[in-house]
Amino acid sequence: MQATIFDIQRFSVYDGPGARTAVFFKGCNLRCRWCHNPESIATQPALEYTPERCIGCGRCIVACPERAHAIDGEGRHVLDRDRCVACLACVDTCFAEALTGVGQAMTPDELVAAVLTDAPYYARSGGGVTLTGGDCLLQPEFVREVLTQLKAEDVHTAVDTAGNVPWEWIEPLLPLIDLFLYDLKAVDPAVHEAWTGVSNERILDNLHRLIEQECRVWVRVPLIPGCNDAEMPAIARFLAPLAVERVEIMPYHKLAQGKYAALGMEHTGPICAIPTDSEIAATLRLFTNNRLPAYAS
Amino acid sequence: MTSPGLNEDKVALSPLIKRRIDTLHADKMAINDQKMKLIGPLDLDDWGFVHFPDFTFEAPPEALRDDGIICGYIPIGLTMRAFMNAMPKYINKNSALGGAWIKPITDFAPIRMAPEDFPDELQPVWDKYHTFPGFGGMNHCAGDITIGLTLGWGGLLDKIRYYRAFNSPEDTSFYDGEELVVLGMQEYIAELAVEARRLAAEEKNPNDKENLNEIARINEWLVDNPPRTLREACQFIAHFQTLDRTYYVGGALDQLDEALRPYYERDAAEGILLDDEAVWYVASVFFNDTHYSQIGGLIPDGSRDMTSRMSFIILDAMHALKIPINIALRVSDKVNETLLRRSLEYTMEDGTGVDYSLNIGCEQGFSRNGYPLGLARKRAKVGCNWTAIPGIEYPLQDVTRCNLGFAFYHALQDVRVGERSLDYLYERLQFHTKAIVDSIKAGYDRHYEVVGRNTPEVVYNLFMHGPVERGLNCSEGGVDVLSFNIDGVALATVADSFAAIEQRIVKEQRITWDELFEVLDKNYEGHEDIRLMLANIKRFGSPDSAAEKWALKVRDHFVWCCKHEGTPKHNLPIIPGMFSHGTLIELGSRLPATPNGRKNYEPISHSNEPDPGFARGVDTFSPSLKATAVAHAQPGYGNSAPLHLDIDTDMLAKHGGMDALIALIHTHNHMGGTLINLNCLTEKILLEAHEDPSIHPDLIVRVTGYSAFFASLSKDYRQQIIDRFLSKRAG
Repeated sequence: MQATIFDIQRFSVYDGPGARTAVFFKGCNLRCRWCHNPESIATQPALEYTPERCIGCGRCIVACPERAHAIDGEGRHVLDRDRCVACLACVDTCFAEALTGVGQAMTPDELVAAVLTDAPYYARSGGGVTLTGGDCLLQPEFVREVLTQLKAEDVHTAVDTAGNVPWEWIEPLLPLIDLFLYDLKAVDPAVHEAWTGVSNERILDNLHRLIEQECRVWVRVPLIPGCNDAEMPAIARFLAPLAVERVEIMPYHKLAQGKYAALGMEHTGPICAIPTDSEIAATLRLFTNNRLPAYAS
Repeated sequence: MTSPGLNEDKVALSPLIKRRIDTLHADKMAINDQKMKLIGPLDLDDWGFVHFPDFTFEAPPEALRDDGIICGYIPIGLTMRAFMNAMPKYINKNSALGGAWIKPITDFAPIRMAPEDFPDELQPVWDKYHTFPGFGGMNHCAGDITIGLTLGWGGLLDKIRYYRAFNSPEDTSFYDGEELVVLGMQEYIAELAVEARRLAAEEKNPNDKENLNEIARINEWLVDNPPRTLREACQFIAHFQTLDRTYYVGGALDQLDEALRPYYERDAAEGILLDDEAVWYVASVFFNDTHYSQIGGLIPDGSRDMTSRMSFIILDAMHALKIPINIALRVSDKVNETLLRRSLEYTMEDGTGVDYSLNIGCEQGFSRNGYPLGLARKRAKVGCNWTAIPGIEYPLQDVTRCNLGFAFYHALQDVRVGERSLDYLYERLQFHTKAIVDSIKAGYDRHYEVVGRNTPEVVYNLFMHGPVERGLNCSEGGVDVLSFNIDGVALATVADSFAAIEQRIVKEQRITWDELFEVLDKNYEGHEDIRLMLANIKRFGSPDSAAEKWALKVRDHFVWCCKHEGTPKHNLPIIPGMFSHGTLIELGSRLPATPNGRKNYEPISHSNEPDPGFARGVDTFSPSLKATAVAHAQPGYGNSAPLHLDIDTDMLAKHGGMDALIALIHTHNHMGGTLINLNCLTEKILLEAHEDPSIHPDLIVRVTGYSAFFASLSKDYRQQIIDRFLSKRAG
């Protein structure tokens, strides 16, 4: 059993309590148009190309069975994405790291061994491991095995999910998860579908079920001006009666645009304004006025 | 932990004291600006000297040997006395204290080792390996300032005279030289008092007039007498700093909170001292100079942390003055958490933070040398990375560099004409490492024999337990603990080079040994792809990397070379360390290209740290990755191998960010780390300051174990800090 992991971020203070190791899984079944982790969307590894690192050595041309690489008339490297099947044969020859593979297949044992190198930091900080993505819950069997091993080591576990999976996938994992980081983008199903490609009935239902099961939940709300900012009052009202432990407002940033280009993906989403401090503060007030413990992330 | 009943509040400053300290800050900036214009960048700590460009000095003719140099107790004592008399008497009316040093005496007088005592036979070995041998090293020890505070200059003079008579040595030059130094100091202080009176007479502002008169009264008293109050104690310490810096740029102070605590408590009990006045006095000490001192830490029996109200006052003085100040906070499981947290807040606010000396690696490590743990706990962090037992130990840390990069280079040349294998390469590295260490040891034997009669520690001898009592320089039996340090450097350069060869030549067979030699000889010219092939492996710092295994293997052999036997002639004990200071540029400047992708004469790696940009693949950079690598690769005998962390202020400002950083500090301690040097920076400000230092003249950064104004650093040094900070995102 393997999963494709594209980042292991140690000493993260952004993904749950304490100093944590955040494990980023590839694969997501939402298509948020503002997505800031485009490399997480596809399940399979992807080829990332950073032209400014290329030294024009031509090794990739020799290595590629699909003839996706070429040097143009002006001596510049050209990548034909239509030919590329992301076999990543070129990556192994690109010592300049202009061509890099996004995603590494790992077994549960390998992943657990990798994250436990930071275990001393968890103990001191009240931290642990956060499985995120993408959406890690799209691979529930793998996640169950990893969480089982982590609990055996007495590691605090968190799962960051959009919740768009069958409840039957989540329920068996409940005893293994200390904290849910639960993404909520919109309450209105039409708004949700317009911006993420899927409706949110199941997402809202799963959140209700988690609360009913008395799970610890931190709800994470992206604040995307022009997209879901009008939803904030409704989200606050929706969450108000629920026993969520905290709400994290995650303001939009523009750091992802370079990633789209490197992955050969078209950025079709909106270019939004970055929320100002006063806008973030006003949003926080919406939640705190509903007696929700809200923080900006 | 917090201490019941201890006042941990921040000190509120009165408008007058705030104005005085703010003015001192502005004056310091102006002094530094003048120094930058007249002298150029200073790649060192602030060194609080006041520059007098027109000052000249000629050593007394009777101090000079026929060959024009000055060495030995009496000639140096004569020169020091004359210099202290000649020095301008600087007084800043906003300071609580008088005096400043103006530059090292060695810039004005040819005090140096006699050439006939130099170990010429070792020089070829040192040249071959670009070794910093440590022979003739000065000032890397620490006095027990309470000796001076208890006796005063007059008492020190009496002590010298008493033991000269009591011991009646055949040769009294030790005592005669020390006596001249103290006399010079007393004359300096007396003149300073006269100058304060003169300035007071001219001063119109009644507050400033009173202050100058008080400075005069204090100095008149201190000529012969020990300090009675906190302000007098601070003045005594400032004078010690002035004297210590003047002679070979000594920079070690002591456990500052404990040294000052009795005065603070007594003054407070008598109702003659407010906390903001105490802040001003200590800020005035820091304005005078940035000697290295320590706050907090365990008492010798380990039962409690010694944080006191004085510790908080020292921290607030640092924060109020806002200049680079070299204070270490000693961290243990019993550290005062409020003090720890506040130190981080201050670092985050304006960079005027402390660094963190960690008790487990320092204390338990030092006790592995055969010393009791209780004695190890008395070791204080009194240098940019180094520690010493104030008044008891002669450690000579931070004066040597065993350049493992050159050991590797010569090993590679042996492979070129010998067996082409990793085993042979490592075997030859072992040989050359031992050759370097042995040559430093031999130099230490000579140092032990001759440094006392050439360049004795005429200042520290006064503040140590033993030299005056025995009539011996601290290097030659004046103190009880001799613990000569050897620092290994370029660990990551070597480890990554081994790993690159192992992966690319031995395992993958992508290139041959001959091709490696060819590209190295060409400095990778025309072979950028091969350079990148060698550079872009899982480098030291990456989890479970081959490079880390090599790092530990190379470290282990270096430590064995240091520890398995003492020096060849006198069997002096050696303690290994791994610290490069800022010398990585210089230590790389003669080293040809290495198989880790480093080109000719580029800097070597820092101390025992991974190189910037080490993280690879899914393992993106994190402070904990770097911290873990540094902890694993500690030399392990109590001498510091520091961890430099450049933390993005945004991370710290995040809810829980500071808690996480505190956890990292404690975890590094428990993993065996020894010292953490912390910067809290934002990329924007750093890049702006690099482009144009004048935009952020106040920006304070921690270069290594010392802090500096970023604007005062040379471009090369600034680039080191930029590389370190930005590499965490480079992956």
